[in-house]
Amino acid sequence: MSSDSSPISRLQTYLGIGDRAGSPVDRKLQDLKRRKAVRRLWFGLGVVLFAAMMNWSLSLVGFSLAELNRQFPEFVEALTGYFPPTTYFGIPFIDVVQYWQFMIEAELFAASQMTIAIALAGTALGLPGALFFGIMASERVVPYPFNFAFRATMSVIRAIPAIVWVLILIPLGGVGPFTATLAITIDTAGYLGRLFTDELEEIEDGPIEGIRSTGANKSQIISFGMLSQVFRQFLAWIAFDLEHNVRVAITLGVIGAGGLGLELNIQRRTFNYTEMMACIILVVLLAGSVELLSQRLRSYLREDDSEQTGVLEAFVTAPRKIVQSGMGRR
Amino acid sequence: MSTLTIDSVTKEYGEVTALDDVSFEIDDEFVVLLGESGAGKSTLLRCINGLTEPTDGDIRLDGDSITRSNAAVGMIFQQHNLVEGLSAFANALTGSLNEWSTVRTLLQQQDEATKTRALEALETVGLLEEAHQRVSQMSGGQQQRVGIARAMVQDPTFVLADEPVASLDPSSAESVMGYLKKAADLHEVSALVSLHQVNIAAHFGERFIGLRDGELMFDATPDELTPALVDDLYGNVETVALSEERTTESTTESEAVEAPL
Repeated sequence: MSSDSSPISRLQTYLGIGDRAGSPVDRKLQDLKRRKAVRRLWFGLGVVLFAAMMNWSLSLVGFSLAELNRQFPEFVEALTGYFPPTTYFGIPFIDVVQYWQFMIEAELFAASQMTIAIALAGTALGLPGALFFGIMASERVVPYPFNFAFRATMSVIRAIPAIVWVLILIPLGGVGPFTATLAITIDTAGYLGRLFTDELEEIEDGPIEGIRSTGANKSQIISFGMLSQVFRQFLAWIAFDLEHNVRVAITLGVIGAGGLGLELNIQRRTFNYTEMMACIILVVLLAGSVELLSQRLRSYLREDDSEQTGVLEAFVTAPRKIVQSGMGRR
Repeated sequence: MSTLTIDSVTKEYGEVTALDDVSFEIDDEFVVLLGESGAGKSTLLRCINGLTEPTDGDIRLDGDSITRSNAAVGMIFQQHNLVEGLSAFANALTGSLNEWSTVRTLLQQQDEATKTRALEALETVGLLEEAHQRVSQMSGGQQQRVGIARAMVQDPTFVLADEPVASLDPSSAESVMGYLKKAADLHEVSALVSLHQVNIAAHFGERFIGLRDGELMFDATPDELTPALVDDLYGNVETVALSEERTTESTTESEAVEAPL
């Protein structure tokens, strides 16, 4: 076929749409070429579609490089506000003392405590709801059509972001930390509950049958046969959700619910960029340390423990032992 | 002392007939259930335990029909089906779940006598020292022994075991079967144990029931269990070893049963 020199037939050969002749190997080669051509056609179509959608999105949001160019000097000026320059022993550096002074002056550490308190209380109060909805939504616990009532409830809760829950609940608790805690409580029931449900779908039948065979009642089958399989995973998800709720609490602060977010927004409105950055630094430290703690807890839970006897080791493994003792593992 | 009556039990899964009109009675014996995979052994055991309901027929324990899982029938599974995150002790204790409320069992608030019973069961299977260990850290043989202990804590009148040693090495398999026999003798319960290993079956069984394609093929005493009978059950598999050894061994069998204990 390759001896054929007319451009059209060469193209046909390349695309694999020419005459189907020759040995089985030739025919297969032709077939593969055709498949490749079809694949490329679809890929090309995908690229065109994506480009069209991208164009639509950019024009809708008013994305403009000219605007960026125009505003850039102002941003650079703001940067010197965010990172106030100074010199230490003649070496230029960021004036961290300014941040520190503002942190003390505006009692930002107290504000951080408020943020943590909102997240912690919200997670703890939402946990029973999350457990209830999470377990009842599992097909293993409540048979098929009925478990959807619980699934749907959680979907509705999740469809409304925590920040909107605060707006809904303002008539109940006013604008403040109390309402933020209520919002996180509801958010946790929908969000953590869903994670629990997903985890419960993965459990094995064996232990459930094992417990059932002893003549245990339904709630014992659920707790010993099912929940025991996901106990560690549930703890890990709770830690993850606490981490998530700290970030949510900061966001809620921005719309007036107190804590670090509130202070951040006050400084933004008054164009005090240095003070704003002081808040952001604390946000990063706060969210970062909660994430670190939650990661440590989760990796503790993942590790299979071996008996350790050293004093130092006992100290290191204490958190895990405290957690495990809650499950009667001793 | 109990009597299990299987009265013309049939079980169908859609088009497939897993059990076809099976009837027999067990009276204070250690019975081995033989048959190929898919012969209906597991289905029969699950029906007796109430994990599955027969399509037709009746299963009675001391005259009472079995309709759902209850503590009177203990079950030992091939994959042991323990709660892996819990200790051997906590797993043995789950055998007493039906005696206590959910809240008390969750808080491990059973009375002293029940806890002692769980430890005694673990002692019977040689795991008293390991009682605090998490099951997930134990070997397959040890896990199966915890499974035996759990079944014994139920204080059952009848014990079932579904291929309890199929996933164990020959030595563990023998010791686990030894413990199972010992526990059954100690608690004076009848047992129905399905097995793949004909050697082990011949060694421990007091009576043999053969299933093929869901039908009862034979119901034999140790003397009646001949190589020909086994060959017939498995359709002439050359490597099924119930050859000359058994006939020579059968004279010393009574001592051999005691040996691994």
